[in-house]
Amino acid sequence: MREIRIASKIISTLTRDRMQYPGRLLVDAFAMIARCGILLLLYSRVFQLNGGTIGGITFNVAAWSMFFYFSFSVFRLRDISKAIMQDVRSGNVETLFNKPISYLLYRVWWQIGMGLFSFVAITIVGVVVLVLIVGLPTTMTTTIFILTIIPVFLGATMLSLAIYSIIGLLAFWIEEITPIFWIVDKAVMMLGGSFLPFALFPDFMKKLTVYSPFGASQFMTHAVYDSWAEQWVFMLGAQAVWTIALSLLAWTMFMKARQKVSVNGG
Amino acid sequence: MSETKALKIHNLSKIFSFSVKDQRAGWMRNLLKPHTKAVKAVDDISFSVEHGEKIAFIGPNGAGKSTTIKMLTGILFPTSGSISVLGLDPTKDRKRLAYQIGTVFGQRSQLLPNLPLTDSLEFFGTMYDMPGKEIQKRMAELTHLFEMDSFIDQPVRKLSLGQRMRAEVAASLMHKPKIIFLDEPTIGLDVVAKKSLRDLLLKINRDEKTTIFLTSHDVGDIETLCDRTIIINHGVLIKDLPTQELSKTFAYEKYIDLIPEDRFSAFPELSAGMRYALKNEDKVTVMVDMTKMSLQEAMQKLLNIFRVEDIDAYNMDLETIIRHIYERDPDRQ
Repeated sequence: MREIRIASKIISTLTRDRMQYPGRLLVDAFAMIARCGILLLLYSRVFQLNGGTIGGITFNVAAWSMFFYFSFSVFRLRDISKAIMQDVRSGNVETLFNKPISYLLYRVWWQIGMGLFSFVAITIVGVVVLVLIVGLPTTMTTTIFILTIIPVFLGATMLSLAIYSIIGLLAFWIEEITPIFWIVDKAVMMLGGSFLPFALFPDFMKKLTVYSPFGASQFMTHAVYDSWAEQWVFMLGAQAVWTIALSLLAWTMFMKARQKVSVNGG
Repeated sequence: MSETKALKIHNLSKIFSFSVKDQRAGWMRNLLKPHTKAVKAVDDISFSVEHGEKIAFIGPNGAGKSTTIKMLTGILFPTSGSISVLGLDPTKDRKRLAYQIGTVFGQRSQLLPNLPLTDSLEFFGTMYDMPGKEIQKRMAELTHLFEMDSFIDQPVRKLSLGQRMRAEVAASLMHKPKIIFLDEPTIGLDVVAKKSLRDLLLKINRDEKTTIFLTSHDVGDIETLCDRTIIINHGVLIKDLPTQELSKTFAYEKYIDLIPEDRFSAFPELSAGMRYALKNEDKVTVMVDMTKMSLQEAMQKLLNIFRVEDIDAYNMDLETIIRHIYERDPDRQ
């Protein structure tokens, strides 16, 4: 109950902050248009040149899959790595370590609060725009899609936070985590289908996507494919297993990190 | 209160270990078998603090003050020794202890920079599990006490340093802690802001019986705020005495200022028990060792040597006393 109260306080406070300073929303919206919009324009041309279908999927399916990736990226959950690194490097971690809260959970709620407003606003606008421009594929009108789209987004949120928390916590040992962050982030981008939709991946990359936590953290991009009807149980299950395993790893690392902390000036 | 002491520290030590690059070894060896160096930041210190006391915990840079505070507040784990804060062990009961202590780190902010101060205070109240009504009541109390009405609705990043420090202290007092740890709270503040903050801390100590544990390089903080001073250097506790006693530490040393009628042109050798602290054409300061001669004797001797317009005798100021204590610490020689 207490955790829920703290979480809702952090999220509501930060959401209010984001609403008061809409600059960040505009930046996020611009980034979304620049990255996703341009890619979709290019893909629409490629699908056109290929008679409307590539690898068994139509453009509107590819567009929605990519849109899910980009709208989720606006949530900026990956920034939890940098936030933890900053706390460690600046010594600011000490102002949070002596509060009656778990530092790691605080950072998780903080990250959700930071990105939630942009994510919701841009996703709603993006959905409307995409429905008007490319329409809804039939796979998105099925009961399974409607029932599973929110759980798969929630799974992606929890798994992303676990992955990027682990990267951030490495800062307690190596301080400079940027190279590791870069590798993991690019793995997530590639396997999440930001450049190429999953349906067009070669077989080995499909396997890598399905069985790695990096791919699993973006399983919402699979929900628009025909195969989702058979695979959703496995994919939600895989997301849950990775989330539990990596959350436990993050927690263990955090407990070790607490004993390792040596704060600047101390 | 069930506990007899607010703080009880016994044989507390902290060793920091870190890898250092061995210039003679290759990168592979440095990577796989790094050379480690250990620094003893706090070395076997013991002391206790009563409820409601106002403690100055001082020492030069790198003495181990902040490390000790961080161990007392559960941020750092001690290498050895025991700590009891309000009867709790910070390494095992960090969360429970956090409800009863407040912390202010002068060089770090715990407030939310982009949001109005009210949000930070509300947020702290929520973090400390206070009911909504109590949060509002406490906010009103602190806003009045800390005179924050004029800037309570401003984003924290727009506050002046003095306003921000007042807000930092107010935030750390939201949950009415029994002890407040302040690590250089007046650093960078002007004289007016310093005085205002000190007055507030004294008021909090008087009205809410909050124990104050403060580190500072500012003698004014120590003199006006604290009734007891603990001095640490090189991780070792070198003095623990009432602040008033501190000025008596070098009471056997007196200073005499001599102002010339015209200008001092020569500085003859002084007799045993006196030495020059300052030799200037416009002013001479002589330090007198009272164990070797009386003040009257010293003055007479000086008046025989110098033609003066004015003469003034006084005790060493606290800042000089503290500097002497640091300098006389044998480890520092």
